[in-house]
Amino acid sequence: MAGRAIRGGGWAAQAWGMAVIEVRDLSKRYGGVQVVDGVSFSVEEGEIFGILGPNGAGKTTTVECAEGLRRPDSGSIRVLGLDPVKDRRELSHRVGVQLQESLLPENIKVWEALDLYASFYRAPKDWRALLDEWGLADKRDARFSKLSGGQKQRLFIALALVGDPKVAFLDELTTGLDPAARRVTWELIKRVRAAGVTVVLVSHFMDEVEELCDRVAVFDRGRIVAMDTPSGLISAVDADQQLRFRPLAPVDDATLARVPGVVSVTRTGDRVIVTGRGDFAGAVTSALARDHIPVAELRVERHTLDDAFVALTGRNLDTQES
Amino acid sequence: MTGFSRLTRVEAKLLLRDPGALFSMIIPLFILVVFGSGASRGDTVLPSMAMTIGVGLVGLYMVPTALATYRERGILRRMSTTPVSPGALLSVQLVLQLLYAALASALLVAVSVLIFQAAQPARLVAMTATFLLGTTAVFAIGLLIASIATSGRAANGVGVLLYFPLAFLGGLMQPKEAMPELLATIGEFTPLGLFRQAIHDAWSGAATQPILLATMAAYALVVGLVAARFFRWE
Repeated sequence: MAGRAIRGGGWAAQAWGMAVIEVRDLSKRYGGVQVVDGVSFSVEEGEIFGILGPNGAGKTTTVECAEGLRRPDSGSIRVLGLDPVKDRRELSHRVGVQLQESLLPENIKVWEALDLYASFYRAPKDWRALLDEWGLADKRDARFSKLSGGQKQRLFIALALVGDPKVAFLDELTTGLDPAARRVTWELIKRVRAAGVTVVLVSHFMDEVEELCDRVAVFDRGRIVAMDTPSGLISAVDADQQLRFRPLAPVDDATLARVPGVVSVTRTGDRVIVTGRGDFAGAVTSALARDHIPVAELRVERHTLDDAFVALTGRNLDTQES
Repeated sequence: MTGFSRLTRVEAKLLLRDPGALFSMIIPLFILVVFGSGASRGDTVLPSMAMTIGVGLVGLYMVPTALATYRERGILRRMSTTPVSPGALLSVQLVLQLLYAALASALLVAVSVLIFQAAQPARLVAMTATFLLGTTAVFAIGLLIASIATSGRAANGVGVLLYFPLAFLGGLMQPKEAMPELLATIGEFTPLGLFRQAIHDAWSGAATQPILLATMAAYALVVGLVAARFFRWE
């Protein structure tokens, strides 16, 4: 019966392009506050799907509804063709979860935690292999309280994968890690996807989302304000960009200002800064080439996902932290 | 091995690694050693007090701290994303704590009788039944503390704060004969007072007082239901 339900879900999903998660018009209120307000998206098999936004944007609530931890006020959710509330038990066998604020008992040993969580599932992975894979083999007998932040985080991800899930929900997985540990974690997440697991990544780090995600839903105040690939989001930013260079021959500012797309030309010291929109950078460099003006230290300041976020929400992500 | 038995095994190990567990086992024995030399042969008063202290420490200190910490650390929430419900974790915890209190009490009876020449329990079956009923009542209070406390630390604080007046009223700090009559009467119907008196009755062979057992059952039921009603999983 359960297998049939999955097959049914897969069939329906195929018609829409292999969606493993379908969220439609999801809404959730807490004490008069509309935390999630009509959110719809779908996640396709094998992708790393990012959910990006400031704290309080409704990211975690949305994901917790998909995990079956919370009951939506309205809207529908299907994960692997299952209803997270009604089919919660069955779904829990097929998804892996890493929660934002969840720890383990201080005195539990690494191997005990993996062995215990493995025993919860119908067809668990071999946790000894996970120990090796996640670089925890030498911490096998260490107590949870003695692990470093990175080791704890790797253990949480290993616990999320020990049930051999089809979908993994990872919430703020690199918060509190140093840059080196974050890089390591990113590489491991790529390996999880390579092993065929669809990953939903909740994050408020732009660089993380840009590095890992195939597609991103940008959340703001309970709504999705944009959904695209990271580069799609960046290229959609309609704001000024800057081109900087040091001319090795005299340049006429007025000539540059006439190039299509250029908004202004200014100088600081021996640098020329051309501000513009669209494909002005290409036009400016061809104009310089045509006038036989060699330049040095040419730099185009690309937009980043940060710029995309500011453009979409009118706010800076970092200033929302509190 | 199934998830449930694995869970029991891991939780048992964690219980034994908790320094509070050792404390709850040692303190009643310590009381026995310190005051035991002054007690007469065939005594049942002091060992009944010591057993009540042990059960009180487990029920009012270990139980609420363990449960509130599991909630505070998000362990219950994490469990509810797996096929095993967090309710299983709570049940396993309560059963293990009950077994631990039983183990500590059995050790206490053995040491009392073998080393301190206390009287052998006169009615062992009645004593066991009283122990189970009384411990359930004390655990219900521990569960209530866990329900209302916001954190493991708060639960620990409330448990300790509640333990001392209850131990005083229950006649665990001085013989109840030394207390003003009104306080002694009130104290008799506090959870630890009931436990001490009912255990003492069974140990010494005095007549069973149904009112004590009925009141313990009422505590277990009413407080237990209130605690279950207000228990928060996150």
